[in-house]
Amino acid sequence: MNLNEKVYDISEAGSIEPEGDRTIALQIGPSHPGSGHMRIKTRMDGDIITKVDADIGFVHRTSEWLSERRQFIKAIPIVERIMLPDTVHANLAYVLALEKILNIEPPPRAQYLRSLAAEINRITSHLYGIGIFGIFLGSSTVYMWAFGDREPFIDLMEMLTGARITNSYIVPGGVRWEMPKGFKEKAESTLQYMENRFNDYNDIWAKNPVVEARTVNVGVVDRNRAISLGVVGPNLRASGVDYDTRKASPYAAYKDIDFEVPKMNHGDSYDRLLIRIEEIKQSIRIIRQILKDMPEGKIIADSIYSQLNPVMKKVFEQEQRVMFPAFFNQMRPAAAESIARVEAGRGEIFFYLKTNGDKYPYRFRWVTPSFRNLAYFSDVAVGYRLADLPAIYGSIDYFPPEADR
Amino acid sequence: MKDKEKRKLRGDVEGNARALATGFKYLVEPNRMTLDYPVESMKLAPNYRGFFTVDDKKCIGCSMCEMVCPPEAITMIPRVVSPTGETLPVQEGASQEAGAKPAKKTKRPVVNWGRCIYCYFCFDICPVDAFVRSNVHDLAYYNDADYRPSYEGYLKLPEDPVKKSKKVVPRPDMKRGIKYEPAP
Ligand code: SF4
Ligand code: SF4
Repeated sequence: MNLNEKVYDISEAGSIEPEGDRTIALQIGPSHPGSGHMRIKTRMDGDIITKVDADIGFVHRTSEWLSERRQFIKAIPIVERIMLPDTVHANLAYVLALEKILNIEPPPRAQYLRSLAAEINRITSHLYGIGIFGIFLGSSTVYMWAFGDREPFIDLMEMLTGARITNSYIVPGGVRWEMPKGFKEKAESTLQYMENRFNDYNDIWAKNPVVEARTVNVGVVDRNRAISLGVVGPNLRASGVDYDTRKASPYAAYKDIDFEVPKMNHGDSYDRLLIRIEEIKQSIRIIRQILKDMPEGKIIADSIYSQLNPVMKKVFEQEQRVMFPAFFNQMRPAAAESIARVEAGRGEIFFYLKTNGDKYPYRFRWVTPSFRNLAYFSDVAVGYRLADLPAIYGSIDYFPPEADR
Repeated sequence: MKDKEKRKLRGDVEGNARALATGFKYLVEPNRMTLDYPVESMKLAPNYRGFFTVDDKKCIGCSMCEMVCPPEAITMIPRVVSPTGETLPVQEGASQEAGAKPAKKTKRPVVNWGRCIYCYFCFDICPVDAFVRSNVHDLAYYNDADYRPSYEGYLKLPEDPVKKSKKVVPRPDMKRGIKYEPAP
């Protein structure tokens, strides 16, 4: 099979096939037959895939543009909406970029609370990925289990922030709410429950011979290829590269936390399945440490707290709820630029923020992990059978709204 | 490569048996965590972000909430302050009694529920903490106009549509993850 052969636009009906070409065009999606909101244009030789072209943009919502035409604070809900299973990380990345420009350093307790929210979110995000992969392989049991097991963690987030998914928890200078009473105990029982569940997940899913047969040695990407394709996140680590932004350039509380970056060796779909389970285990370990070592103190930087009026300070003392100073409405950061990198559930988010002294951002560029993993997808499925496509596509945990923005 | 094949062959019988056994275990003893809505419904925590209203007497009409609202769900409507401290609608062309002080003009926020995303930024920016939470989150309206209440309509906190249902609270549970227990 010659990968360099000329590619014909198969989106045009009745396009002329070159003489002697025995491949046929097959379109998967975009109306979500397990493709997500994208169209996978493939060419098939028999049932061997010879070319994959991911046609994206079906859920493009001009989010970058929207956030560039609003006050800075209003971008928080917007960045959250690109990656709903993973809102805290998007929120955190934006606030980190903004804090660098505003020169605000959040207090240690706020850093820990940020990491806490981020790790709970990573677990829900990975469970989401596991569930979707399950249904791709036809295992509706794992789909239901994983989505069900997200629920206790979403419930934790609800307890912490008052909302299930769109938490808007992190603001410049710290976080908005103190950890409520009884949170530690609830979190500990939830973590224990999840640990007990791993046995069941192994039996039904990860160690199930049917799953192994469908995923082992399917969609193999070796270490060098993964690096050269710019893969990020768990998919990169499944190929044997232990790169993690939490270690490489620690943010929030990660420099004080002891955890491992799991990695696999083969880089096939099966490894991408296992790595998510391993990462959930690490997240559990991180959450335990955070709950144990959380320092006392304020949850908001003094520079923000001192701007609150007396009514707001009283509210903070009574309810441990941080109100916003009027400054949040009228932020006009001086001309500067900053970047933020955060290890989200699906990989590294990169935000670039440029200000020019105006009340709106001059430029706010988002590079999301799913978009970077897309390059991978077009490459990795070639040479495998059509029936392997769900096993490959499902394993990379691609989230179309995140890539399309 | 060879190791992998071997591992697979060894695991085939045992692995299938384990998967079947686990499946059977949950067939006999399902671990459902479904909430039987609306027969049961959740009693939400006090910090839950549900529908909310504004305290007419506290609000000073500063429009900060309108400015901060990310989806622009808040509209400020003009009101006049009555002698009792509450606000009244502005009456167009109302005749002023001779010698009476002109009524003080002010503004009050109204939320369009079709746009609100419950981020509670308005709550937190309000300099006098005038907003009031409710613990209701499950409301739907029949038509578009109902999503945009009048100011008087907005002042009333919405009623819980499933008031009669059994109120439960989620508790972590070792077997089911979440168990719904009757609310205290
Ligand atoms: S909760 Fe958020 S979206 Fe709703 S009115 Fe307040 S600021 Fe606007
Ligand atoms: S921010 Fe508070 S005081 Fe100001 S208009 Fe809104 S509700 Fe009234």
